[in-house]
Amino acid sequence: MWLFPISVIAVPALLAIPLSRYLAWVMDGHYRPTKLLKWFEDHVNSGPMNWKQYIVALLVFNTVLYFFGYLVLVLQPWAPLNPRGLGAIAPTTIFNTVISFMTNTDIQHYSGDVVFSNFSQIFFCIPMFFLSAAIGFCALTAIIRSFRSDPNVGNFFLDMWRVVFYTFLPIAFVLSLFFLASGMPMTYQSANQVNTLEPAALGTDNNNQAKQQTIVMGPLAAFVPMKMLGTNGGGFFGMNSAHPFENPNATTNFLETASMMLFPMALVLMFGRMLGRLRHSIVIFLVMLVLLVGTVGWVIYYDTLKPNPGLTSHPIARTFEIASATAPGGKRTIALPPIAGLPVDQHLGNLEGKELRFGTSAGATFAAATVDFTCGAIICEHDSLNPVAALSPFFGMWVNCIFGGKGVGMINMLLFLVIGIFVVGQMVGRTPEYLGKKIGAREVKLALIALLIHPLVILGPTGLFAAKGWGMKAESNPGPHGFSQIVYQFSSDSANNGSAFDGLGVSYGLNSNSNPAPEAVPWDIAAGFVIMFGRFIPIIAPIAMAAFLGMKKSTPFGLGTLRDDTMTFGCMLLGTVVIVGALLFLPVAALGPMAEHLGPIPFGG
Amino acid sequence: MKNITKSLWLLISTVVVGSLIYPLVLWLIGQTVFPFTANGSIVNDQGKAVGSLLIAQPFTKDEYFWPRPSAASYDASAGTSSALAASNYALRDRVARMLGPIVKYSSGPKAGQLVAPDIEAWFQQDRYQGNPHIVAQWADNHNELAQGWVSADPTHAAYITDWQKSHKSTIADWIRQNPGTPQPQPSDLAVLFFETFSKENPGKFPSAITSTTPDGKSQTAIQPVASGSDIQSVFFDMWRQDHPDVALADVPGDMVTTSGSGLDPNITVENAEYQLDRVASKWAADTKRDPRQVHEEVEQMVQDNSAAPLGGLFGEKLVNVMQINLALKSRYGQPQ
Repeated sequence: MWLFPISVIAVPALLAIPLSRYLAWVMDGHYRPTKLLKWFEDHVNSGPMNWKQYIVALLVFNTVLYFFGYLVLVLQPWAPLNPRGLGAIAPTTIFNTVISFMTNTDIQHYSGDVVFSNFSQIFFCIPMFFLSAAIGFCALTAIIRSFRSDPNVGNFFLDMWRVVFYTFLPIAFVLSLFFLASGMPMTYQSANQVNTLEPAALGTDNNNQAKQQTIVMGPLAAFVPMKMLGTNGGGFFGMNSAHPFENPNATTNFLETASMMLFPMALVLMFGRMLGRLRHSIVIFLVMLVLLVGTVGWVIYYDTLKPNPGLTSHPIARTFEIASATAPGGKRTIALPPIAGLPVDQHLGNLEGKELRFGTSAGATFAAATVDFTCGAIICEHDSLNPVAALSPFFGMWVNCIFGGKGVGMINMLLFLVIGIFVVGQMVGRTPEYLGKKIGAREVKLALIALLIHPLVILGPTGLFAAKGWGMKAESNPGPHGFSQIVYQFSSDSANNGSAFDGLGVSYGLNSNSNPAPEAVPWDIAAGFVIMFGRFIPIIAPIAMAAFLGMKKSTPFGLGTLRDDTMTFGCMLLGTVVIVGALLFLPVAALGPMAEHLGPIPFGG
Repeated sequence: MKNITKSLWLLISTVVVGSLIYPLVLWLIGQTVFPFTANGSIVNDQGKAVGSLLIAQPFTKDEYFWPRPSAASYDASAGTSSALAASNYALRDRVARMLGPIVKYSSGPKAGQLVAPDIEAWFQQDRYQGNPHIVAQWADNHNELAQGWVSADPTHAAYITDWQKSHKSTIADWIRQNPGTPQPQPSDLAVLFFETFSKENPGKFPSAITSTTPDGKSQTAIQPVASGSDIQSVFFDMWRQDHPDVALADVPGDMVTTSGSGLDPNITVENAEYQLDRVASKWAADTKRDPRQVHEEVEQMVQDNSAAPLGGLFGEKLVNVMQINLALKSRYGQPQ
């Protein structure tokens, strides 16, 4: 029960120590490339950049990536590796999907097994997995170099090359071998037709022939490692890592869960190593670890150790008063009789939407971790989590700095850190300093822009979609849970997470789909823009902030300096994250998951 | 401009290495070293592929163990979850419908017996929470279920269209009260239909009955019935609300919940043991052998075919449904 979460957090945390040393060594260029690699490096390297050139290069590369992704997906009907003859993908689905994958979000408004051919999976998804993860990594590296007051922030393309070829590729390859050995499929076949063991168990077709089972498969062992290592999370199948081919057993599940934690954990320590302040980064690491353990423990407690409340008894009769314009006195009273439970043995917790083969608490652990690490892969249906357990994934997306994705989680934590130091400095009446540099109004403004864009692009569209039919028509569950579905979708977009309450009707899929979700088009477009704002502003503004900070003169360490490697500092940081990050979202939490938990279950008829 | 050429260099080298070389190398290793799993763990029966060990397949015969219910109807080309929230009544209703025909008393004079006959007897009394007409109350409380019944099958909608013809004045009243829908479709009239049906046929529910015509053809039609599987399943939850204190035997949770992928290949050992009596007695009847002995054999097979995730470190023992059913078939032959 508790062994899985403990071991799956401990193993990557320990591996992060040597890995962070290696990452710092690579990013600081202390290695000696072979002749061939040197030749490649010389071809991608365009020379030292200042922070503005770095941002421009980052944006240009993303633009190129966008056109590349769009081209690959448009080519699907004519491309090879498509024996099932899947046709053209709907334009808005492509728009949404390309933005989603190039920004490391990988929210999917389509089902991979239904819509994507192996060509699209291999030539669209896999390069995006490598490159989108590397972009956040490089942004963090640029920030570190600014903090160090390096003469330049490095070269974006060379950094990307180092990340992809010297760090991601070798580790992904080793992981692939583990997955292969543990039973994951690796084939260029697209589907296998079989006659079921019990003839006609799937029914018969119009000609009275027994229906066959069409088993979709593909090159999973090449697909999954980078999906997890890069905290991308875009599934080969619609049900992502819950699908038995994408995650065949408890061994692969352990590896997938641990590998998604590996790089974000190592990056925090790399930050400390490159700055020469390892103790400071250990404090940050511990703050994140506390939040991680808290969110994972919360889901296990409320989802694995508690039954699904939809099936249990609610023995106490309750009455609710609802404001009503037509009722006398302006209030209408609704009485709920006691509800008898159904005879279901739920000692394994809430099993709706869970797979059995991963072990008892695996689904709950993964549900929290996939959000904390902004991976977005899923191994259980988040829509069917117990209502109050779902608060944990919401919290993870809202603060968006519990290790977080490649680099960007650490960047978000730096924003909280700068704001925390600033607030504390104001409280004790001392000049706020970070790394010996005075934090001025300009830096705080940039940090706030980056932080506030997140609630803005979540709450704004949520309000709009809840008020318009776009949201109501897409909901698949009644009452507060329907609202939660809208909030979850936009939170996942802006946090660049990618998990979803899957019942929400946002899928168009293939262009020829005769029955798309009625509001798929507005969702595709709105989500695309939310993802972009939620991705690029929190990368660009912090790079600028770090650059301005780095240009300042260092003040020597004195008696009045706030020490940044102590418990006190850690508690301050934790407090800032919880108060600033989470309080912004308390009202929607109350309207969604909390209302569902406290209100009538089942809700309506 | 320099940025664009450098971008292309980076992109193209990633595509060549990541999308061409890397999968190809893995494919070679997979196909040579792990050919069975690399191709999807497809298993054969008498030389023909019958499915994958990793993908659930439906089983309906009593001789076989049944997998967990599937929100994807076991479609391995479009796996999906139910996405039902705990607060959604549709979840409780789906579970209750599965439970009705199989639940047993756990104590009292009827311990070990099915509750299904008592549900039918209670249904025929036609009183729920002290008020008459169960079906009318059902449709009132759960409009969506009533509408769901109408759209579940074309014969249901046709039955309502027929009913409309014999209830012209009732429909006219309804249209007067709902001026927004001058041309009501069968699903609009679902609740009204069940209300009038319940008053005209107390203790009955419209259900599909298959009968044999004089010339030997079988024919299915909707008729009011007072017993049968529809009543046991649809009205189990209401029966339970009227009998909250009766002790019932718990059914294993994984037996009534759908998995995340809809293709979960495993069931828990408790679930297999819950199905054991049905499976073993059916094989005993098929092979005309001593039921007790067959029971012991099948129980042993369940134990032999069970394993816990990662050697028992992470969870409880599970049984792979495809694997045990293949073992059953190879031991006892074709089910009858």
